Order: sequence, then C-alpha cells, then structure tokens
Amino acid sequence: MKIARYISYCFLTAILLSLSTLAAAVEPIRVVLEFTPDLDNGRHTFDICARCHLPEAWGNNDGTYPQLAGQHVNVLMKQLLDIRSGRRANPSMQPFVQQRTIGGYQNLSDVVAYISTLPMNPEHAKGPWPPDTTRHREGAELYNRYCTACHGAHGEGNNELAYPRLQGQHYSYMTRQARLVRNDLRKVEPGMAEMLKTIPTIDFNKILNYVSHLPVPPADLAPHAQWRNPDFQ
Amino acid sequence: MNKPDKTSRRRFLQAGGALLAGNAIGSAAATDDSPQSLANAAPALHKLLRRASVAAARGARVVIVGGGWSGLTLAKYLKRFNPAFDVLLIDKQSAFISFPISNSWLADQVSLDFLSHSFFDAANNNGYHFMQATVLGFDRDSRQVYTDRGYIDYDYLVLAPGIEYDYARIGVEDSEAQSLLFHRYPGGFVTGSELLTIKRKIHQFAGGNFLLNVPDGDYRCTAAPYERACMVAAVFKRRRIRAKILLLDMNSEIKIKKAGFARAFEELYGDYIEYLPSSLISGVDVEGRSVETEFDEYAFDDAIIYPPIRASSLIEEAGISDQYSPQKAARTDPFRYHLAGDERVYVTGDSRSQPFSKGGHTAHSEAQYVAEVIAAHALEREIDWRSPQTMCFSAVDIEPLRAMSIITYYRFNQQSGLFAFDRTHLIEKWDTQGGQASLAWAEGMYRDMFYA
Repeated sequence: MKIARYISYCFLTAILLSLSTLAAAVEPIRVVLEFTPDLDNGRHTFDICARCHLPEAWGNNDGTYPQLAGQHVNVLMKQLLDIRSGRRANPSMQPFVQQRTIGGYQNLSDVVAYISTLPMNPEHAKGPWPPDTTRHREGAELYNRYCTACHGAHGEGNNELAYPRLQGQHYSYMTRQARLVRNDLRKVEPGMAEMLKTIPTIDFNKILNYVSHLPVPPADLAPHAQWRNPDFQ
Repeated sequence: MNKPDKTSRRRFLQAGGALLAGNAIGSAAATDDSPQSLANAAPALHKLLRRASVAAARGARVVIVGGGWSGLTLAKYLKRFNPAFDVLLIDKQSAFISFPISNSWLADQVSLDFLSHSFFDAANNNGYHFMQATVLGFDRDSRQVYTDRGYIDYDYLVLAPGIEYDYARIGVEDSEAQSLLFHRYPGGFVTGSELLTIKRKIHQFAGGNFLLNVPDGDYRCTAAPYERACMVAAVFKRRRIRAKILLLDMNSEIKIKKAGFARAFEELYGDYIEYLPSSLISGVDVEGRSVETEFDEYAFDDAIIYPPIRASSLIEEAGISDQYSPQKAARTDPFRYHLAGDERVYVTGDSRSQPFSKGGHTAHSEAQYVAEVIAAHALEREIDWRSPQTMCFSAVDIEPLRAMSIITYYRFNQQSGLFAFDRTHLIEKWDTQGGQASLAWAEGMYRDMFYA
C-alpha cells in the first residue's frame, strides 16, 4: 500500500551550502538530513497548499497549475526547496514555502509524502494528437530515443534521482514549462535544458503530446473526475 | 509601430482650439462650468496639447491606463511574453497602496510598509516605463491617449482604470454633497488617503455608534466589508471601548463566506456588531450624522460609507460603455477583452464588463491571460480562453491573525450565455494557518508585481 510504503520510507534532503563569499578554494558542503514523514501532519500542512492547489492537487487543464497528486516525494521536495530559495522563480508561491509559513523540513517532508499519496486526476489535459496519429507515433519515437533514460519507459520518473513522473501531467502545463525554459525564464538541470533548446519546438510538443497520452496505472487514479478529497470535506 | 499621425494631431489641436473658442463664447455667458478668462486658461490648456515627454517607443507601444493590480500585472507580463513591446504604465497616484490586506492593517496586523510599494520599482524591475499622469481621454482613430502631461501615441491601449463611487445610488445626487460625504466618511476602496482616514477614525473612536455598510451590485471585493466589520470590532474590543458597529447590508444576506462571518459576528463580536440585512440606504445626512434606509433611520457618531460602485467614468466619457451595464462597464469581447470591433483597445480589471468578482487576485490572474492575448495578437496568433482565478482571504480575528479563504474559477455556460462559478473551494473555519496564508499570498503578489 502506498501510504504504508511512505510511512516507512525515509527520504533525503540535500542542501548545498555554497560558501562563495569565501576564498575560491572552499568546496561546497553537502548536508544530508533524514525525516520520517507523518501523513497526518502532512494533511494538516497541505491545508495551506490547498487554498490555491485545491484539495485534490490535480492542477488546471489550462496549464496554470501542475498536477501534484501522485508525484514522487523527492521531485516535490526539490521543487519546494528550489522555490523556497528562489532557484526556481515563482514569486507568488515563494512566501508560502518559507519556514515562517509552511514550517521547517519536517513539515515539508510530511506534506510531500501526503501529496504523493493522493489519487490522480483521471481526466488530465492531453495533447492534440491522439494515439494512431502520425504525430503521436513520431512523439513516441522521440520519447524513446531521448527521454526514457531519466523519465522511464512509461513516464514513471525516478524518485531516487528526483526525475519527475510525467504520466498524468497536463499537456498544457508541460508545454508552458518548456516555453519558460526555452526563454530562459526557468532553470532546469543542464541536460534537460540542453534537450529543450536542441530539439525543435514542434518535435518537443510531439514528445509532450505522447507523454500526455501515456496511461496512468488505474490503481493511482481517482475513481472519477468528480471525486473530491474526503480529507477536506 | 505607430507613426505620429500629423493629420490627427492637427485634428486634436483644432479640437483644442474649438474648446478655447467655445470657452471664449462661454465666458460671455459666464457659466459655472467654464473659466472666466480665456487668456488665463490658455497656457494650462496648451500643456495638454503637446506630446508628453516619454522615451521614444522602441517597439510597438502598449499604453496601460491604471497602475492597480490589473495594470501592474499586465505591464510585467506583456514584457515577459513579448520583450519587443514598449510598455508604458500610467497612474495618477505617485505610489501604490494595496487595498487587499488593508483591513488587517487597520487592526495593526501588518505595517503600512507591507502595503506600500513604488511604481518605479515595478517598472525598473520589469523593464517597462511608468508615468504619473491623469488620463483625460483617447482617440482611437489616431491611436493617441491624452493626459494632463501631454498626449502619447499607442499601438495597443489597455484600460484598467478601476472603479468610482456611485453616490447617486444611495440617494446622494448633488455633486457637492457627494464630495462632502466622500471626504468626511470615505469608503476606503479607491484611494490610499481614504484608508489613512479610516484607520485614524477607528483608533480614535471614543464610543457610540460606528456605522459601516455593504453596498449592493457587483462592488469591489465582496468579502471586504464583512471582514472590515470584524477588524473594526477587534480594535474596539482590544481598546475596550463601549461601541456598537451598525453593519448595514444593502443585500438580503451575507454575500460570501456566510456561515463563517455569521459565526464570527456572534461568537467573537456579539457585543459589538449589529448586523442589519436588507438595509437599502436611500440618503445620508452628513452634517446631522444619520443614514436613512427604506424603513429606518440610523444615527451614528462616525462612519465608513461604501456606496455602490461603477466603472471609471473614463469608459463612459469615451462612449464605449455597454448600454445594458448598470455599472457603465465597457462593451468588450467577453473572452478577448477588446472593444467591440477594435482589437487595439482592451478593458481589464474592475472596469471589465464580465461579472467576475472584483478584487486584486482576479485582476492579477486575468491580466496574465490578457497579456498573453495581446502578445499573441501582435504575432497574429490566438490563444485559448482561460478562466481568471479568484482567491480571497478574510481576516476574522487578531492576536493571532486568523482568516478564512475561498478560491474559485469561472465557467462559461453556452446555453445561458452566462459565466458561473466553477471549482470553488471554501474554507470557512478561521485559523492561524489561514492568517499566515493571507499574508504569504499578499507578499507573493507584491513580489510578482513589483520585485521579481
């Protein structure tokens, strides 16, 4: 069971302290902290997030919010920390993820564990080219060539390495983020940035289209689109 | 890019000349509305007829009228979506004071610094220009905006001039009486000075009846008058003064977060707030300090009077009002925001014609979309419509700050042709997490509009 798996699961938080103000010879120090998530407190903490992300954390079909439900804990944690530090620019979310608002690392750990257990949106926004179209097929070929090494053959991502799960993500959200990266408005890992700038936009959209049509394992999905998170009723 | 149009400039100068001539004739009749001396008025009028001194446009110029939540967000995102745009934001105020969170400020939960921001910071940090000026009108044929500091050419014009009080709808029709009422008992929803006066009033109130009201119609910030009653009551409670807050609601019931506010009025402020629904205000006696409703009269010692509102008169004066709009909003395309038949002029924010909740967050999310619409138009593209998002926190209690929240989207119903609420999430229990979130929300919005 997913919940049990995460209760027993300890994940790592890596913080890089860059001591760049000192002499150039000083090496960065890597601090690794461990937290055991508390799902009850995660639900309580998620109350703050739900005010914008809504209790289901399903995101918006128009691409303005991502689907968070079912995402890997380390992916969620990385984004929270990147937004907290300003490494990922998100001015309107940044104050929410500061310690004074959401709390310390324990609370962050709890809330990402909770979000990862939420059932996913069964009707996320898909790209314009359904399976059996040429562009879908071309997208599949490109995906298998360039993306599976990190994001997995089924778009399942990789929790250990904090590579996002792409299954179930809104097509509109992914194209929006891709555009931000291309226009230097969002920083991502160098390999990913390179990929986004090398592959022509039309081909990249074919990839994202294919990704958006990848099936989500039924066990991870909410029973229907009208499902509402009972924790918030 | 728009070239200065000599013909239209001449036409404008002729119009100015005609105005002067008209006044010369008028001065013989010595009406109250015209200057007594043409010779004395001419230099002032000539200031309006010159080109405003702003840096020459380096790309298609977008002029935005109004530096509120809508205008500030548009200016930023227009540059972001199309860096080639030359964006000029115009506001008649010299600095920005936030109305959202101002009720918490009334009760000392944040400082004035928290609410105050500089248009210069916003412009410098986001690559656009700011000009402090009052917009007097515009000409869509020549694509020029007229201000008290001269005229400006535009390629795109975005009108986000906000609202004005409509005192006639509470029975105060005479313009002098309106002005007196506005200065003596300001509503606190249009200019920063109103807020400063209101704060002084509630902190110096010696006791007795303090009257507040909720307007009818689609007024700015649905929850704010109820929230304000809570914050004023919290201050009175903390100051331990004997005071009664008369909350006259021109609506038949609490319009939003009903259960939450009703519970707060009863549980927290039972000794202070008297809630009076269906109180249609029909007159205000400023000197005699009383408010008249259909069936009653309420004497007060001090008051905050928030009349119903209407779209900025700039819209009506330009002849672009929708004849069916009771609040004189512009007639625009409900999905693309441009004027009927003119894709160079857009209307956003609280003077929009769509029935979206009037407030900062709605204006902010809407403006991001409209910026994309205009950027796409410049590239001869179109983007899909998306709903604005309305997010609204309401402070209920202080020490510590506790708040409720609501978020909603809008959906267009093809059959009825109307917009309806969609995916609403209401948190009516007030808690410190809500209070914290309300401040984080505001900080994030200021960060987005001014600093990031």
